[in-house]
Amino acid sequence: MGNTVQLQIYLKALLTILLIFSFSVNVAAQDTGHLVEGTVTDVDGEPLIGVNIFLKSDRSIGTTTNLEGNFSLRVADENEVLIFSYLGFSTKEVPLEGRSQIQVEMAYGAMMGDELVVVGYGEMRRSDMTGSVSQVPAERLENLQSHSLDRMLQGRVPGLLVMGPSGEPGEGVTMRIRGASSLHGSNSPLYVVDGFPLGSAGDLNQINPSDIKSIEVLKDASAAAIYGSRGANGVILVTTTSQTDDHSTRINLNIQNGVSTLAQDLDIFTDPVQYAIVANESRVNAGQDALFTGQTYLGTYYPSEAELRSGDWPHRTNWQDEVYRNAITNDYTLSIEGGSDQTRYIFSGNYYAEEGLTINNRYERLSGRVYLNQQVTDDLNVSANVNLSMTDRERSSASYGRSPVFPVYDENGEYFQIGPQDYWHPIALAREVTDQGESIDVVASGRATWNIRENLNFNSQINLSYGESVWDNFQPSRYTSTGNQFDGFGSIANFRNRSWASENYLSYQNEFAGVHRLNLTTGVTTEQSITRTSNLEGRGFINESLGNEDLNAAEETIVNNSQVEEVLLSALGRANYVYDERYLLTFTSRLDGSSKFGSNNQWAFFPSGAIGWNLHNEEFLQDQELLSEVKLRLSYGLTGNQGISPYQTLDRLGSNEYFLDGRFVTAYGPGIFRWDDFFKIWSGIANPDLKWETTEQVNLGLELGFLYNRVTLTADVYHKRTRDLLRLQRLPISSGFDEIWVNDGVIDNRGFELAAEANLLRGSFIWNLGAMYSLNRNEVVGVGDSDFEFWGSEIEMFRTPVNVLKEGSPLFAFYGYKTDGIIQTLEEGLAAGLTGEQAQPGEIKYVDLNGDGVVDADDRTIIGDPNPDFIFSISTDFYYRQFDLSFMLYGAIGGDVFNLQKFSTASAQMQRWTPDNPTNEYPSLNNLRGYEVSDWWIEDGSYLRIQNITLGYTLNEPGFLPLDRLRFYFSADNLHTFTRFQSGFDPEVGENGLNWGFYPRPTKFMFGINVTI
Amino acid sequence: MQSKKLIITTFLIGLLALSCSLEENPVGFLSSENFYETEGDALSAVAYAYAILPEIEYYSRHFYLVTTVPTEEFTLKPDVGASQHDLDQLRPLANNREVTDVFRYAYIGVNRANMVIEEVPQIQMDETLRNQLIGEGHFLRALHYFNLVRLFGDVPLHASAIRDVESTMQGLTPQEDIYQFIIEDLNEAIELMDQQNRYGRANQVAAWGLLSKVYLHLASAGATGVEGFEFVTDPESYYELASVYSGYVVNDQNIYYLEEDLREIFSVYNEGGPERIFYATVDRAGENEGNYSKMPLLINPYLDGAEIELLDGISFPSGWNHVITEEGFYFSFDEEDLRRNELMVDSVIVDGEYLTYPGGGIEAPFTRKFIDPDQTGEQTSTDIPILRYSDILLTYAEAEGPTAEGYNAINQIRNRAGLDDLEPGLSPSDFRDAVLDERSWELAFEGHRLFDLRRTNKMEEILQGRYGKTIHNNAYYYEIPQIERDVNDLID
Repeated sequence: MGNTVQLQIYLKALLTILLIFSFSVNVAAQDTGHLVEGTVTDVDGEPLIGVNIFLKSDRSIGTTTNLEGNFSLRVADENEVLIFSYLGFSTKEVPLEGRSQIQVEMAYGAMMGDELVVVGYGEMRRSDMTGSVSQVPAERLENLQSHSLDRMLQGRVPGLLVMGPSGEPGEGVTMRIRGASSLHGSNSPLYVVDGFPLGSAGDLNQINPSDIKSIEVLKDASAAAIYGSRGANGVILVTTTSQTDDHSTRINLNIQNGVSTLAQDLDIFTDPVQYAIVANESRVNAGQDALFTGQTYLGTYYPSEAELRSGDWPHRTNWQDEVYRNAITNDYTLSIEGGSDQTRYIFSGNYYAEEGLTINNRYERLSGRVYLNQQVTDDLNVSANVNLSMTDRERSSASYGRSPVFPVYDENGEYFQIGPQDYWHPIALAREVTDQGESIDVVASGRATWNIRENLNFNSQINLSYGESVWDNFQPSRYTSTGNQFDGFGSIANFRNRSWASENYLSYQNEFAGVHRLNLTTGVTTEQSITRTSNLEGRGFINESLGNEDLNAAEETIVNNSQVEEVLLSALGRANYVYDERYLLTFTSRLDGSSKFGSNNQWAFFPSGAIGWNLHNEEFLQDQELLSEVKLRLSYGLTGNQGISPYQTLDRLGSNEYFLDGRFVTAYGPGIFRWDDFFKIWSGIANPDLKWETTEQVNLGLELGFLYNRVTLTADVYHKRTRDLLRLQRLPISSGFDEIWVNDGVIDNRGFELAAEANLLRGSFIWNLGAMYSLNRNEVVGVGDSDFEFWGSEIEMFRTPVNVLKEGSPLFAFYGYKTDGIIQTLEEGLAAGLTGEQAQPGEIKYVDLNGDGVVDADDRTIIGDPNPDFIFSISTDFYYRQFDLSFMLYGAIGGDVFNLQKFSTASAQMQRWTPDNPTNEYPSLNNLRGYEVSDWWIEDGSYLRIQNITLGYTLNEPGFLPLDRLRFYFSADNLHTFTRFQSGFDPEVGENGLNWGFYPRPTKFMFGINVTI
Repeated sequence: MQSKKLIITTFLIGLLALSCSLEENPVGFLSSENFYETEGDALSAVAYAYAILPEIEYYSRHFYLVTTVPTEEFTLKPDVGASQHDLDQLRPLANNREVTDVFRYAYIGVNRANMVIEEVPQIQMDETLRNQLIGEGHFLRALHYFNLVRLFGDVPLHASAIRDVESTMQGLTPQEDIYQFIIEDLNEAIELMDQQNRYGRANQVAAWGLLSKVYLHLASAGATGVEGFEFVTDPESYYELASVYSGYVVNDQNIYYLEEDLREIFSVYNEGGPERIFYATVDRAGENEGNYSKMPLLINPYLDGAEIELLDGISFPSGWNHVITEEGFYFSFDEEDLRRNELMVDSVIVDGEYLTYPGGGIEAPFTRKFIDPDQTGEQTSTDIPILRYSDILLTYAEAEGPTAEGYNAINQIRNRAGLDDLEPGLSPSDFRDAVLDERSWELAFEGHRLFDLRRTNKMEEILQGRYGKTIHNNAYYYEIPQIERDVNDLID
């Protein structure tokens, strides 16, 4: 990372120079010309703060009103026309006519409707839209502190569920738009950055959040069908900043630093006596000898409980303190933009470094962007946009679940190991194991827009993306079981993806006879992606000091590599017709051909249609002021999902090695396998009929605006049905194959979404309130021949998976036994139909659900649903004088969590069943108990989180500073979570609802300064 | 006019892009279209058919557990999961993990062998070598079906390779026909193969040996009235055939013979040794488990997690203590039996300290047949015995009965183990019972016991009567795995 540190220093130096330079330039530019002063108020005479004022002749010259609504501005021409613009008010032009004092009164106006919304292959006026599209403007993301955009979207868009159980820096999240609609294909939305579909290779971490202008989320079929076979999971369109009408050179610098801390104390043993009691009891109850009896066992002295109680034992290790820390985050962004009438440019750079909560864990990213736009001739515009990012990441597998009885280091300063095969020393794992990677991502596009005629444009865009990563791993022979197994283990994993896309489309827009407006788009695209990977592995190192730097020095080296190519060819079209600003009609379709699918089903067509009605433009709604906007929309259409890996339609031979004649010979034959945990699952029979999953979706939407859109409300109801699910069908195992990809099975998602925004107060004290609510119900309508299948990997503790797909139940429902507390007497256990160990007092009492007198596999049923009933968020901002305050609450209510950690925490174990504590809450301790999947593990995972609070102070009074704007802010992320979920853990878990005990989500405090020159 | 030209040009660019082909060209893997063409391909295809044998789910773990744990040889440590305990307690369910895996892997083996049998004849190559390879395909197919029929009785019969979904389903074929199929395969194999010893691969001797075991299975099961073998109307004729083919191994070849030193038989350095007619081979330098073996770790005890040293100086790391020798079985050996005294361990040295059984720090004695003194990490070169010379010699003895030849055969085995000759003048049934006991000691922990008890109708007599186990179900046949029944419409 030496390079990045150096770059960071250069960046800082550069910033300082630029700052000094620009101060002087700005100061110098202030004193000539005609001085105009004035006040801007609303119709009630309340002063308006922060109104944008600029010259009509040169929009780069301007100012804003101060706290009293006053402004002053120098103009060259005393007959200049000033333009006043302010959110929620009609823009007003005021000719100066030689005056030097003016009073401006601005009227409320409905701004909504005219703004453009990016919709994929073009933009559309919001008022013309018929599909369900949510827009997140960049201002909404400004205060959120994160390295990645996807985390920032949590709670921002109705219908979008973001799950990020791990708080480790650099970890990704799971995103679902309107529920999961695929079983084995991808459920992730398609990300499109500036018109470039990143496909499966891309994620949003490649984009610096501060470069983003807006994010649009396409949800219904009418909106997403333009992305055809990749639209079924919804589409997230990211638009980065581009040219503005304002030509002035603007430099923006944002510096923020912060600290992350554990959001709550971990529930672990810190008292050695308690730990020893619990450890002894767990072993004795399992028929093993107690360890803490004052004996030496496996080379380690285990003090007795009495010895620990006496206080003479010298150690009392708090592993939380050893493993966790207060971690630092630095984030610096510099952007410069400007240009002339013909040329516009944006340069930006960002350095982001976040330490993880655990030691030796960090994430760093350096990213840069160059945007250039040239008006070549009157009718030809070309632009280029290059995003580059370099990341560095160091992970640590340190965990905290370790005995407080033993010290971190032994008397020789070596890591204290408990027994000869101790591979769980957190500090040793953090310090001695190498687990780090670096990556480079480039996303570049060149675009030409040819204005062929007044109403006809031709757009051609070439996109390239290149991503490369190298991951280093080294496990010395002493501290990990893998290292021990191989006598030192090192590897280097290389990944490279190269994709390009060529997109060519024509767009036509025209108005006829004043009442007809027509928008047509049609085009063809080609995309190709090539991914190559290689994994170099060395096993057995005589000298470990080089780590994985010289794998060839290993006793055994192993190389694996692969190459995957995909091609997608498409034709697309969209027609949008508006009659008299009242009746809207959209037809969208895409024809896709993909190399991933069978020769019998290579091409597919995805049409959609929608109608809309702007009721507010009807005669009968004209003479009132309450309703400023009323719009109804209805859409229906098909989208697809092609999210399987390539080559599944071909018959494939596998390879292995067999040891003959003193050497391994390479062997080829039928059957390839994938790992399902420890088990090999075999496939390889060709299926030439394999095709897309098809999602049929109907959406009904209502948009309301009240009082010049001071209050707006958007509601959508939808029903999505996905057919031809890509599914791994089981084959009779007597065929020598376990599974084959087929298309069958049906999933339903139904839901309701609501978004509301209100400007409750304005004037000198501004209060805005926003709320989002979304509800989704999904149901497995069919999973092929059987009505039931397990989902996910076997969980070792239960020897079976926990989640299932069952006809009539929600996706990923939990499946197991019902329980009825804890058995108190053997008679009670036997009477309940239990036998053997399971009938003993202190065991979990499984329920004989079918009443046949025995508890067996037939008594299992659906015992929980990990899908939240609904998610919601409330966000609000206040502005008073220079101060602003905003906060956001986010909640997910009604999701069950299968808490695998329920009996692992110190407080839970202290409440265990014993003959003296005949509780019904927890079973007795037993090291070797064979647990069953049951509702005993299920807890309510509902929560409400204070996601973010930001307090800011902004100075933008002209003349006060040689700066356009100076802002200080303080923000807190993940401040508190209200939940009944088990202490020590965060209730936000992944889609399958399993709590493994994830990397804790930090509470983060940031302080930032933002300067605009 | 100019703009029209430009439109045309730009559209042409777009159309050019469209000419990218959608046809998928496989990168980095082979399909049946670009394989099975050369002699190298043929050898590689046969190696693939062998490579299924040492997989975890087959001979190196699950087949081993399924055939040893239910018998008196092994019990289990407590925390190994319910399905294995069900095996130990003779009450496996139809969804038993290990039984299911063995079924699955035997059929994967069948399909690989079928591909060899179907594809290799089309390849232009040396005819003798081609015949040998095809013969090996027949041998392997017979071996898998012999395992299947011994474990499950009636099973689906796939006589040709699976090439599409339509051919994946087959109903059950009566075991009589399965045995007939096996016998035909082995006769074909005998015809096609030579006698050269290529360790890790089968030859004519292996096919004779396997065929003699098939006939002995039919003979003894028919003679003792095992349910399902009613079709064996003349067991004596099968005893004769078993004697003929095991006789070929004993008398008509001189590649394989009894090793003098017991430990030498099992030494990992004795690859290709004279008793090793057919073994599944691995090497500790392999990439994945199946290329190397962790099978000895199932058996080796876990002692302080430390290095365990045997009294003759061999040392190896702690294992998993996964299977534990049953005391009753240990004491069934004669005190003088070298197969107990030389091949089972009751004292070790750990950290300079002697640990002994019983009561001196070792929970149970354990077999050293599979130890690899050069184990690296958890990787061993322990090859898994499938056909061993002494197995065939005892097959010969059992098939012959109390003839001079029969006595000679069993006494060779007994004498090598330091025991006296078997009591002369036994009746045929007493003699065969004695051979059965001899097999339990000679072939202990090698995965033969379950089949020996099943084919002699002695599951109850020995396991319940002699060792006090309780048989709950599936004494003579395992159920066809639940997952197969669920998916295969042609079964139930």
